[in-house]
Amino acid sequence: MIIFQNVSKYYDNQTVLKNITFTVQKGEITFITGPSGAGKSTLLKLMYLAESPDEGDIVIGDFHLASLKEAQIPYLRRSVGVVFQDFKLINSITVFDNVALSLRIRGVKEREIRDIVSNALKKVHIRHLSDSYPTSLSGGEQQRVVIARAIAAEPLVILADEPTGNLDPNTSIDIIRVLRELNAQGATILIATHNRELFRGTGNRVLKLDGGNIVGEEAG
Amino acid sequence: MTFSYSFKSAFKSLCREKWINLLSILTVASSLLIITLTAFFLYNIEIIANSLPERFSIVAYLKDDLSSEETQAVIDTIKRRADIAGLKYISKEDAIKELQHTLKDTGYILEGLTENPLSSSIEIKLKKDFVTPSSAKHVAGEIKKTAGIDEVYYGEKIADAIHLLRRSMQNMSVIIFLTISSGVIFVTYSTVKILFYRRKQEIEIIKLLGATKGFLRMPFLIEGGSIGFFGGLIGIIGAMLFYLAVTYRLSMVIPMLKTLLFPFEILVVLPLIGIMFGIIGSLIAIGRLKL
Repeated sequence: MIIFQNVSKYYDNQTVLKNITFTVQKGEITFITGPSGAGKSTLLKLMYLAESPDEGDIVIGDFHLASLKEAQIPYLRRSVGVVFQDFKLINSITVFDNVALSLRIRGVKEREIRDIVSNALKKVHIRHLSDSYPTSLSGGEQQRVVIARAIAAEPLVILADEPTGNLDPNTSIDIIRVLRELNAQGATILIATHNRELFRGTGNRVLKLDGGNIVGEEAG
Repeated sequence: MTFSYSFKSAFKSLCREKWINLLSILTVASSLLIITLTAFFLYNIEIIANSLPERFSIVAYLKDDLSSEETQAVIDTIKRRADIAGLKYISKEDAIKELQHTLKDTGYILEGLTENPLSSSIEIKLKKDFVTPSSAKHVAGEIKKTAGIDEVYYGEKIADAIHLLRRSMQNMSVIIFLTISSGVIFVTYSTVKILFYRRKQEIEIIKLLGATKGFLRMPFLIEGGSIGFFGGLIGIIGAMLFYLAVTYRLSMVIPMLKTLLFPFEILVVLPLIGIMFGIIGSLIAIGRLKL
């Protein structure tokens, strides 16, 4: 499902990621952990081409990112649902429209959008907030909206970049529970976090990143 | 469905950024109004210019000693020409009568004449396309060579004036149209560029969700087209107010203005021209932006 082959990324001669190689199988939930500045966010950004790798290749489903043409990038992004650390919600439209946006981009019919968005909001337990605007929501609620938007179009992979970074411990546990429920339903999920509490005792695969290198792998 | 989203998005942006959009619409409306008024004046000048060739004629004077058969032969020869719209034979007798009629009270001047000094003539009307200085000269020269023709006269200055008026009108309309069009396109270009930068954050999010360039551009094209369309509508209102003011108010002072005609066809076309300019401006704006 996800293959990293000797991927490296540099910023101004500074190595951010060096020879990263790993594979994530379909339906797997994998955590990437490490201290701040380890390269976790960059690693995720490479997967939806917010950043381009300088060396190596990344394969996501049928997309080979090293040889991907510019016109194909939107289609890659449609197959990857991203839970952004800073939410990236549009404040001028409602929760419903924020979630629906990812479907409208794909040209899904309005009649179907209503049901899909409703189901996505139900999965993250915020269907009652459908008509609210993002600015009126708490951090935890906004993060749920982002998850709903990421899962609505049923992408191949869900990437979560510090999904609990701005949340209190109780809300964090809630969010991780939602992601686990999605994984139980078959979603392939990659979560970048520095919070070890999120995977402790779960038995999930954890990749340890430090200084741009994978320094170890363990079961959470 | 993508279209419906794009229309909604464009409409929302029109409302949200109402002041900048309103300003652009009014600027476009003023520009289109100038185009309409130019068309109005040119339309009326064209009508006048079109009526001038009808008044233009070549007069061919016949030799005095022609028999009626020879006269008819000359008329038939001239009639066969492709550049002739029509002709009228004026006999010596008709010519003197017409002169007497023209002179009216001063007709006594002719009383001392013992014989009619005037010649028979043929008044020739050219087809509209041949009323140019070069064509009129060419036709007059050829008619002069016809057997039985003594002298040919044509209003060289009239032909020159008509030609000059036509050419000036065409050049002027092209210059005005190009200048104003460029202005309208620049206004929509600038507006769409500003609107794009105001929505840059939103566009970045939509891009990350997998939007194609077409999806991102469509609302801006619609918004540019809408600015042009509403500009066109307001332009129509302005043009109608102008026309009513000219025909009802000003014509009381200058009665001649009542004869002016308005090219109503342009009122239908105006919003379409606005849409076209708006879309062109938007296309240039978003084509130059990095999406």
